[in-house]
Order: sequence, then C-alpha cells, then structure tokens
Amino acid sequence: MIPVLILTGFLGSGKTTLLAHLLRQPDFARTAVIVNEFGEIGLDHELVEASDDSLIALTTGCLCCKVRDDLAQTVDDLLRRREAGSVPPFTRIVIETSGLADPAPILQTLMTDVNIGGRIVLGGVATTVDAVHGAHALGHEMISAKQVAVADRLILTKSDLVGVVPSALRDRLAALNGSAPVLEAQHGRIDPRSLFDAGPYDLLTKSFDVQSWLGGEGADVGGHSHDHDIQTYAILRDAPIWAVTLTLLLETLAEHCGADLLRLKGIVNIVESPDRPAVIHGVQHVFHPPTWLARWPSDDRRSRIVVITRGIPRRFIETLIDSLEGEVVEVSVRR
Amino acid sequence: MTRALDEALRELLAQSLAAWRLTGNVEGVNDDAIRILCNGIAIRVERAPPAVPFRWMVTIDGRRRGAVSIPAVLRQVRSALDPGYARDKVRVAVTPLVLS
Repeated sequence: MIPVLILTGFLGSGKTTLLAHLLRQPDFARTAVIVNEFGEIGLDHELVEASDDSLIALTTGCLCCKVRDDLAQTVDDLLRRREAGSVPPFTRIVIETSGLADPAPILQTLMTDVNIGGRIVLGGVATTVDAVHGAHALGHEMISAKQVAVADRLILTKSDLVGVVPSALRDRLAALNGSAPVLEAQHGRIDPRSLFDAGPYDLLTKSFDVQSWLGGEGADVGGHSHDHDIQTYAILRDAPIWAVTLTLLLETLAEHCGADLLRLKGIVNIVESPDRPAVIHGVQHVFHPPTWLARWPSDDRRSRIVVITRGIPRRFIETLIDSLEGEVVEVSVRR
Repeated sequence: MTRALDEALRELLAQSLAAWRLTGNVEGVNDDAIRILCNGIAIRVERAPPAVPFRWMVTIDGRRRGAVSIPAVLRQVRSALDPGYARDKVRVAVTPLVLS
C-alpha cells in the first residue's frame, strides 16, 4: 500500500517552497505529487521539480469542495499507472492542497473512496504556518485555523524573516493543536524524516508509532483557542472500557457531533483485550475500524483520546463515556 | 441499578445541551427522574419500570415513550429540542489505519 501525505497550509505559507525542497532530497525521491491549485492559471506545479509523469496538477477547483471525486480519480489513475509501469514506481504520494482547502473533507475522501481504499494508507497531515503572517491568518480565517487544528505536524515557515518566532504565535498553535509537534523550515529546508512520521504509520521506520502520532507523552493538549472556538484536548481514563462502549461512543459522537469533530485519535484500553490496546482515528463522522496494537507502547496503560473539535465540551465526551460504560456494565450485570 | 449512572446521565444531558448549542436547564427531581427545560419544551427522563422492554422512559410534553439505551435517550431528546437535527450515521473508512 502507498502512504499518502497531505501538505496543507494557508495562502502564501510556503507549501510549494517546502515541497520543492523536499523533492530534491534522496529520501523523497520516489514521490508522486498531486498539486491542487485554485484558479484558472495554476503556477505552483511549475515551481515543483518532479518527474513529469508523477506530478499532476488539479486545477479544476478547490480540493475540499469541488474536486473530491477528481482527487480520488487522480489517485486511482496514479496507482494504476504505477502498477502498469507507465510511471516510476513511487513509494508515496504527496497531495499539496490549495491554500483555501479544508483538509477534513480531503481526509474523508481518502478514507472512504472504495476504488483506492485497498491501496493507500494515510501518511498524515503536515500544515505550514507563516511565522510572519500566520497569527493574522489564524485570527481571521477559519480555514487557516482548521488547517492547523487537524495537522499531525506543524511547520513554521519564514522564521528567518522574524528572527525569533513570536511566542504569541506558538501559544496560539499550541492552543489550536497541542498534540502536533512544531517544526521549523527556513527557505523550505526541513529534514524530510521529520515528516515521514506524521501519520500513525512511520514511513521511515515502517512501524506504528502511536506515541508520536498522539503527540508524545508530554504533549500539552489541553489548550483552548478563541480562534473560531476550535479546541484540542486529551481525555485520559484509567479504567479500561468494554469494546461495545467504544463502539457506542464513536457512533454517538458521529451522530451528534460529526460536523464539529474535526479529528479524533487515540489509544484505548479495552476490557476484553488488556494487553493489546485499540487505536482509533476519525475525521468528522468517518472512522477507521479500530486497529489493535501487538502490545502497549509504554508502561502507561491509560486510555488517551485526543479530540480536536469546534465547540464540543470536554465534559460532554467524558460523561458520555461514563454513561455508556455505566449502562454497559449495568446491562451485563443484570444478565 | 446504580445511582452513579443516573448522575452521569443527568450530567451528560446537561453537557449535551452545550454540545448542541442549546440553552436550557437540566435538573434532578425528587423521584429519581431528570427534568429538562429548553426552548419552552419540558422533558422528563426516568428509569423504565421492570415490566417494559425499555431501560428508560422519555416524556416529552406529556407524551411518554420508551428508550432502549442512553444513545436512544439522546436521540429522542435531541429530536425534540433541535428542529434542525439530522441524524448523521458513522461511516467506516475503507482505508486501513496502518500498512498491512
């Protein structure tokens, strides 16, 4: 299967510069690129040096709203051409979104399209943030805040222009998405390896690095931003829950909060599987089936669920888990 | 039956109003029921009697209906309070979370 990395970020935040640099690195050599440009005349794809056969410009509209079918079709075409040997045997796909794209629908497309479903795996979301103008964009553009909120990796660009990145910007990023490590790129230069582990599957080590994906042990994910009411928080739970509770939780969240659930990812201690935790991931109302780890990644066996949301109170999810688990236990006792 | 579950449900209903961006009041009443007042609508949630095949009873403006589970209670309450509510079912992704 081919990992797909989504590279997003607001207008002018340095996505194309970053991508151009990455594609010159040996680690990124076998990469197919899909560039989505919003406008009648696309330029970004002219600035990216990649094999012509493996570079596709989608210029018919913004990925998140108009060309989702086009995206799935394009990925499908790329994979078919790879299988037929008519393009170099790339080992990953990078999708550079337009600066105005909402990454959530793009993630959903990649997660749900049956034609490409068996051949790709999510490689994560990397979001560029302009160190000069990023704070303004975050404060005024909902899409900019959403791009930051759903990211697995945040990349501060143009930090060379400001010397020291303003602490207010870092604070705002932490409030919007405390689980995503913040990297810096100057003139587009960044260690490609730092992006390879953006998703749950570490592309470099070919391992499932759930700790890193969730933001590491010490990540502060309790932030609250006033940017468009987007919040990130982690729900910790000492006691394991029954598998049916997890199922009911995901169904209820999708049913009542789907639109406001920008992203949810976590590792969960399940009663029936004490030594093999479940890993969960969802975007709005679309969820992966839980994946079962072979073992706990550390001695910490608490369930940990990172929630990135617009307006869903933390206590709602905490009491939802308590209530569902309480009812499951009560029903099982009565039987 | 546990008192803790009743308390958790009461708080869940209060938090649900916030999650649904509704303003109202949720309180316990003397006979172990929960009363919700929101948008001029009164809702009562209580345990179902043992003889009926439900776990909860939900009374909305005098009309009493059974609910088999807490998610069913939430669905009935939301439907009554939020005219724009359209049930959104979970979709299961076809792509795996990790490479196999």
